[in-house]
Amino acid sequence: MSSILRGRQFELFRTARFRLALGFALAILVATLLQFSLVYSQMTSQEFRRSGQLLHREMDFLLSLPADHLSYVIRERSTDDLRIVINEAGIFTANREPVTGDLKEWPEGLVADGGLHASVMIPEEGAPYKMWFLADRLPDGRLLALGRSVHPLSEQKLMMRRASLTTIVPILILALVTGVWLSHRALARVKEMHEAVDRIMRGDIHERLPAGSESDDMQRLAGSVNRMLDRLEQLMHDMRAVGNDIAHDLRTPLARVRASLERVLSGPGAESPEVLRDTIGGAIENLDQCFAIITALLRMAEIDNGRRRDGFATVGLEDLARDIIDLYEPIAESEEVSLRGPVMVRDVEDGGGAGLPASSVVVQGDRDLLIEMLANLVDNAIKFTPPGGRVQVDIGYRAGHPAVSVTDTGIGIAPEERGAVLTRFYRSDKSRHIRGSGLGLSLVTSILRLHNAWILVEDATPGDPGRGTKLVAVFPAADQIRP
Amino acid sequence: MSASANMNGAHVLLVEDDSGIAREIAEELESRHLAVTAVETGDQGLEKALSGAHDVLVVDRMLPGLDGLTLIETLRARSIRTPVLVLSALSAVDDRVSGLKAGGDDYLTKPFAMEELVARIEALLRRPDDTRQTMLRAGPLTMDLIDRRVERDGREIELLPREFRLLEFLMRRPGQVLTRAMMLEEVWNYRFIPQTNLVDVHIGKLRRKVDGPDEVPLIHSIRGAGFTLSVPD
Repeated sequence: MSSILRGRQFELFRTARFRLALGFALAILVATLLQFSLVYSQMTSQEFRRSGQLLHREMDFLLSLPADHLSYVIRERSTDDLRIVINEAGIFTANREPVTGDLKEWPEGLVADGGLHASVMIPEEGAPYKMWFLADRLPDGRLLALGRSVHPLSEQKLMMRRASLTTIVPILILALVTGVWLSHRALARVKEMHEAVDRIMRGDIHERLPAGSESDDMQRLAGSVNRMLDRLEQLMHDMRAVGNDIAHDLRTPLARVRASLERVLSGPGAESPEVLRDTIGGAIENLDQCFAIITALLRMAEIDNGRRRDGFATVGLEDLARDIIDLYEPIAESEEVSLRGPVMVRDVEDGGGAGLPASSVVVQGDRDLLIEMLANLVDNAIKFTPPGGRVQVDIGYRAGHPAVSVTDTGIGIAPEERGAVLTRFYRSDKSRHIRGSGLGLSLVTSILRLHNAWILVEDATPGDPGRGTKLVAVFPAADQIRP
Repeated sequence: MSASANMNGAHVLLVEDDSGIAREIAEELESRHLAVTAVETGDQGLEKALSGAHDVLVVDRMLPGLDGLTLIETLRARSIRTPVLVLSALSAVDDRVSGLKAGGDDYLTKPFAMEELVARIEALLRRPDDTRQTMLRAGPLTMDLIDRRVERDGREIELLPREFRLLEFLMRRPGQVLTRAMMLEEVWNYRFIPQTNLVDVHIGKLRRKVDGPDEVPLIHSIRGAGFTLSVPD
């Protein structure tokens, strides 16, 4: 219980608003005190300079007087200055015995050197006080001492101390209030953001932070967060779309199964073994399609997991291509597509690979997965190539990187669709009628990602996207592979 | 189906903890005249496998208690060579490798078609006796593995290397149902399921060469399962 209370108690001190306000008030306080002390010390030095000037001026004047007249002047204080600016004056013998004037005693510490000296006077009654003295030697050997009280200055200083003490309280209060107000203004925006974030966390993913015109740091930060949220929302949307696509792709064959089973159950065909057999066969076929989709998704998840890198070995792309062509030749033939390759092509960019045997094009990888990758590319190319067309498998280097490419003379991929074809379930509008799980190229990208490889989508005929596609899998160069 | 007759009376030990799947498998196998003993845990499975004489074991990979791979390893360590088919819900290729490494003879990923399971059990029950022979015979077909020549009743059949490998695979297993997946694995050494009917096209090509217009067809499709090379007696 006590710990909770203590926690509550400190909660106030922990809030940013309180700390900001307090910091602001402290800064104002320090500034005020600094100002006071500067003025104070300025006053002191100013008064010292002024006293010195006055005393020196008067001294020069008095020294210029004849000795008899001087005694009179001192005794009677007959000049204005002696009356107003000089508080004490006296003539002393060389032995510092008083001769005339109201200064009856040589002030302690005073030296007749033309310099200003401070001395504390102890009157018969009242508190001791400080005075500035100037003494000089008269032509007749006697000494003249002039004194100026610092009393007015002391009073001013006292007033100032009082003033500073009385003003510091309202200043502090004003500073605190201003601090609270300013920090409230700043923190109100933080609070708005907090609330917006809370709403987002509660699931309102369309909510955004108040970013205004992004004219200050806080708003710019909010703007960045908003852009991040946009990206995340887009990703979520994509994922949901994938989920919907999966659901839809599974739903279609399942709906067919259900409809056919229902029809045969309630229809006259239930008596006929042939009809039953056909229906069940069809149902199994549709279910197999569902399983194929699920299996492909699971495989992708497994490949994306990336555990398989441990089993990587050197795989020759030429053998790989030869095997795939051997496997797919009959099907290409039955689709009236000519499947050719593998041909060793030179690197168009830097001529790399020229003169090297095709068997030199090797990569580090998982043979089974690479076979699957290339099979999907070839499978896809054959599927999207009309009869009479051609599918060509080439191996070689791309800017020094081992590469294998599959070129077809199919319907081609429009430049704006090239990123999308590699995502799950994407089907170009042109290809909706062609059967398939739609996951082939996604599987390809998953496998290539595992190999730190990437895929390029190009025109089979550069500059003419309508005349076929070239998909190039580019692998990391041998020296870029981790040991 | 003629194939089933060859398996008559063989004894299968099924170790599967999912009772639903176990029942389906048992009923399917019994309908094909196989004797099935089904147990649900690895420990029971090991006990049965050690005590009784079974012709083939069907073992789920993940079992309560003693897991499937450990069971197989224990059996192999005790020199029990009964062929084992490993079942797994995991699609991971790594799992397949570890399953075979532990001493399994074949590996099947769930979900599977019953036909696939039966074909694989049959293949395990009738493993080719001698793989070193250089001359294969199956009905009217003869295959010379050294000269790479195939004849049907004296008519020489010209085959591409891949067709030769496929026919060899069929001739080593006459009368046996062979699924598409088995052929892809064994003939091409591929472990993935292609989206197109690859195997059918290969078989079609081979069939046109092996079965002449006036000859009795030897290569048959079996709906929902695969293909078989039937040998007239």
